[in-house]
Amino acid sequence: MTEQTLEKNKKKIKISNLHEIGLLIALILVLLLFSFTTENFFTQRNFTSILRSASYVGLIAFPMTFVLITREIDISVGPSVAWSGLFFVILIKWYDFSYFSSAAIVILWGILLGYFIGIARTKLFIPTFITTLALWSALRGYSLFVTEGRPIAISNKEFRYLFGGDILGLPTVTWIMLGAFLVFWFASKYTVTGTNFYAVGGNPKAARNIGINVDRVKILALIGTSLFAAIVGILFVARVSSGNANLADGMEFDVIAAVVVGGTALGGAVGTMTGTLLGCVFIAMISNGLIHWGIDPDLNKVVKGIIIFLAVVINSNVTFKSNSGGPKED
Amino acid sequence: MKILELNNISKSFGAIKALDNVTLSLRSGEVLGLMGDNGAGKSTLIKIIAGNFKQSSGTINFENQKVEFSKPMEARDKGIEVVYQDLALCDNLTAASNIFLTREIKRNFGLIKIINFSEMFKRAKDIFKDLKSETLPDEEVKMMSGGQRQAVAIGRTKLSKAKVVLLDEPTAAISVRQVAEVLELIKQLKNQGIAVVIISHRMPDVFAVSDRIAVLRRGQLVANKLAKESSPEEVTALITGAIEKA
Repeated sequence: MTEQTLEKNKKKIKISNLHEIGLLIALILVLLLFSFTTENFFTQRNFTSILRSASYVGLIAFPMTFVLITREIDISVGPSVAWSGLFFVILIKWYDFSYFSSAAIVILWGILLGYFIGIARTKLFIPTFITTLALWSALRGYSLFVTEGRPIAISNKEFRYLFGGDILGLPTVTWIMLGAFLVFWFASKYTVTGTNFYAVGGNPKAARNIGINVDRVKILALIGTSLFAAIVGILFVARVSSGNANLADGMEFDVIAAVVVGGTALGGAVGTMTGTLLGCVFIAMISNGLIHWGIDPDLNKVVKGIIIFLAVVINSNVTFKSNSGGPKED
Repeated sequence: MKILELNNISKSFGAIKALDNVTLSLRSGEVLGLMGDNGAGKSTLIKIIAGNFKQSSGTINFENQKVEFSKPMEARDKGIEVVYQDLALCDNLTAASNIFLTREIKRNFGLIKIINFSEMFKRAKDIFKDLKSETLPDEEVKMMSGGQRQAVAIGRTKLSKAKVVLLDEPTAAISVRQVAEVLELIKQLKNQGIAVVIISHRMPDVFAVSDRIAVLRRGQLVANKLAKESSPEEVTALITGAIEKA
């Protein structure tokens, strides 16, 4: 090993962690900024609230990371969450299903929906952006039609307490999110399935030549987001004790923003679960802090739009510099 | 020892005869330079050996046994490996991950299978050492030079105890210095007793490593002779048809 290669190796390690370290620093700066400029930001109660919203987003952002890595996208997750929650409540209230079997049916629905998006992509060659855009409209529209825009309430204290409350001082959903993070982090780093997501995103043609079933890998990634959207739908019902067609409005934006802010490239191949976790907390903290500043919720969306734009600018610069134009000449 | 024998191989695509009665053999540790103009049938011949195509007529013997491959995996299982022209590498993965892609070394914990990176890095390091290549197993391929990328692609052929390695244009589109690296890799394969077929348009590269030169012209084998008994001028004449046969 020559001096030169050693030097090069050190540089590489720096670049691959650069984004996460940068994001962590940004996170701390934002935390300090809001803590010193508002009264009620730096409180346990508020941190719990930030964690709670970061957790709902995170549960979908982890599978979304894999979807983006394989060069696909799923923008249907917001309406998918709303419909899943509603479907869950409808099965219980209108058709007398038990909580358990309703949850099982909704989860199965999530898997089938992802499978459908995947088949449309790999067998009918319809871009996932188009299929999920169609679903984005259809799922929200159908949810509004079925309920005539009114929430359907359920009352079950145990269910609410178990899945909508807190355990050991942290929201239940945060514990679930942390569990999911460990599974996704582990899968992305140490399993063949995880490696295959990166391989397919890195060079689909090569992956196919070598013998990876590219279609199956993409379908699996797309099942991930739909499945977790269904799970989050059920968890939302536990929190608010009702199904509501207007729930999770714009959530697809928060999820994709968190993943991109976390360093995943929209063009695929690059991204980490740790980055996505930090991205979720970052987005949740900004949204929360802006409310404490008394900024209009509509303007809040403007700020988020600016953040996602800046994140992509920074992201593509870091990626560009670390690639410096593909295979280098020696 | 003859490892691969092609007897009277012909291949037609409809009315077009891509290969016409080609008889050619290959010994262990021998480097064969396969030359010819575009459309002469080089790639068709390679694809028949690798199991991508089936010949229209003729037989193939591998290690003195008649073989028929219906898909590339069957040829791979016998020890015939192909290095594709575009190398089939994933830039965002490390050298070791690329080498072991679809053949990862795993540790089993009940139902969970974990990739054994330390073992993969160790094996990849040994492979690069064997190939006398300065390639780091844990470095991402996107950081690498053309020669190192070739080493990774060729490294894949070392996983399965390859007996025949087919290289499709390995020196196209890389710098002069990297060409030297790749030719060195080919010599390493030869020294380990592996039979190598190299397709190339670059005359100096072929003469630098080949023991024998075979020339195809319009599907027919027009030359099959020792490299030291031929010359670039003669081969050029054979390719263009200025000399009918040698």
